[in-house]
Amino acid sequence: MIEVKSVTKTYGKKQNLFTALDNVSFSIESGSTVAILGKSGSGKSTLMHAMSGLDRPQTGEIIIDGENILALKQKAVDKFRATKMSFIFQSFFVQANESCYDNVSLPLEIAQLSAKERKIRVTKALEAVELGDKIKSKAKNLSGGQKQRLAVARAIVNEPQILFADEPTGNLDSTTGETIEDLLFGYNKKNGTTLIIVTHDPELAAKCDIEIRIKDGKIESIRDTPNKTAAIKPAKTRAKGTV
Amino acid sequence: MITRDIVRRAGRSLRQAKARTLLTSLAIAVGAFTLTLSIAAGEGSRQYADKLIGSNINPQALFIVKDKTLFGEGGQQQSGLREYDPDAGTTGTGVAIKQLNQGDIDALRARNDLENVQPTYQLSIRSLTIEGSDKQYTADVSAYDSTVRSESAEGSLPELGTQIADDQVIMPEQFADILVEQKVVGSKAELVGKKLTMTVVKPSTQPTEAEINQILTTEGTSGLSKLAQGETKEVTFIVGALSKQSSTALAAGSALQISSNQAREIAEYTTQGTDNYQKYLGVTALAKGDALPDDVKAALDKAGYAAQTAKDLQTVIFTVVNILQGIVAGFGVLALLASVFGIINTQYISVLERTQQIGLMKALGMRGRDVARLFRYEAAWIGFLGGVIGSGTAWLLGTLLNPWITETISLGEGNSILIFQPLPIAILVVALMLVAVIAGYFPARKAAKLDPIEALRTE
Repeated sequence: MIEVKSVTKTYGKKQNLFTALDNVSFSIESGSTVAILGKSGSGKSTLMHAMSGLDRPQTGEIIIDGENILALKQKAVDKFRATKMSFIFQSFFVQANESCYDNVSLPLEIAQLSAKERKIRVTKALEAVELGDKIKSKAKNLSGGQKQRLAVARAIVNEPQILFADEPTGNLDSTTGETIEDLLFGYNKKNGTTLIIVTHDPELAAKCDIEIRIKDGKIESIRDTPNKTAAIKPAKTRAKGTV
Repeated sequence: MITRDIVRRAGRSLRQAKARTLLTSLAIAVGAFTLTLSIAAGEGSRQYADKLIGSNINPQALFIVKDKTLFGEGGQQQSGLREYDPDAGTTGTGVAIKQLNQGDIDALRARNDLENVQPTYQLSIRSLTIEGSDKQYTADVSAYDSTVRSESAEGSLPELGTQIADDQVIMPEQFADILVEQKVVGSKAELVGKKLTMTVVKPSTQPTEAEINQILTTEGTSGLSKLAQGETKEVTFIVGALSKQSSTALAAGSALQISSNQAREIAEYTTQGTDNYQKYLGVTALAKGDALPDDVKAALDKAGYAAQTAKDLQTVIFTVVNILQGIVAGFGVLALLASVFGIINTQYISVLERTQQIGLMKALGMRGRDVARLFRYEAAWIGFLGGVIGSGTAWLLGTLLNPWITETISLGEGNSILIFQPLPIAILVVALMLVAVIAGYFPARKAAKLDPIEALRTE
């Protein structure tokens, strides 16, 4: 369960004041797939950063499993991210000079898992994205789609509760993009991980249970697919969100 | 993140930028090279000096003088207008110094903490002849110092602390070489046992008119010229041994050595009636039995003398060594200082280059502290690499060059001026790693403070 309560984030001061998020509130059930849809500069990335504790909004609360991560100390937030969250980025951010193994191993090293445990999990994650045979290859020798699959392996290796994907298919052609989408949605179904996709692509957003449209830092609309079991909380939050 | 994983990742990052890593560490290597050599040279010199002093000088030995200025203490040496002192003599450079007189010698001999008290006799002979040659030679003569070991090339020398016999003379090997060259003897060995006769002159006294008249009437003009030349005496010795010129022997190699008894006789004969009669520049002595030379030195100081112990001599040599070592080490430190800026620069560039990587690591929950550690460990690796390359090269080069250096400065077989010891070098490498870590502090802090959102912005 993720609750976002009246989050406001501003940049700059006085005349240059820019409101990236303006009193945003909603909540998401665990295990659902969520699309944060908006144009460039709408504040969708800022919202993702706030929800993952990377950014600190000036006001509001972000409550994950009953804990307000904005009230936590930096050390605790870092630990939260290391153990319960993971990320996929538009430009992959895989380490080109490192092997696939070392790329995927990084989150586990940060979470201080033993080398033995790491080996088991890394192998499993790479196999899940069908890169089992590339375990020793340098990441720079992979194709774009393979790189993003590597990024997916890195994102799922620590078995996160929440997986953030920032334009995961933005740099890929439609075929490879679909492969990545399938991987992500498949993982969501299989493991019940909450999947939060930030995108400007309405087609991708349409595949998600919940679609949150952002415009100028405000929630424009929230679509809740009725036939899904895990769905957004009813009217009250929605009303708040559409101020 | 646990330390081992950070160290591994740091090492890997460096391997991915091999050229840059190597070049940066080479800057440290220059400093490490210089410092290693200075450490090795210092150690080598100290061991050599130790060996020199330890094998040549009785640790109980003291050199005692009246004039403290000789050891550079107790005020300035006097020149110019000064009070007349009947005991004052002059050094070779014309500086007045206080000498010891017979009273001093007797007082020192009477002390119960000294033994083997020997004044340094100032000996001069007019000429000498050697059995088998009618040529006349001249040479410096000194009293045999039983506290300093000499090595013999031919014949035998007494044990340390024992005087040579009164009828013996020790000849430097180089004199023997000349005599062999001049075909006085067939070989150096033949010299041992040969007679050597020294002619010494008693200084002439101003004869009275009556004396001149008397000699003129009894011996004629030849008697008169003999009187003007002064009285002479011949002393005959037997060559007991040839002293060897050695790199680890301190004994002066260019003077004939005779027993101290003979030396006293000759010195008194040649100074009779002059101001220098029974005046001595200094005295060699041994601290008696278990008495510590330093204690004796302090006691002598109270009694108005100045003394120098074997340890003082060592200290003097060590001071010189330390100064020289300090100068070399100073250059090493300068090189290191330059390399520190190299590390800072390299690490700053590395942080800029890896902005995205740092951002990703922080997004994945890596703590700022760990990011800083990653960069600090990279710096430490650079320091380690530089230290190992530098000191390794110095070690290798020093070991290879040691025989050549030893030969060039004729240090003597088995002595090395560069002595490499693992412990100081290990400490040096660790210190260099520390220096590198300190140099990497600011870049590491920059990395730690990097905002992951900024770092991950894609445009």
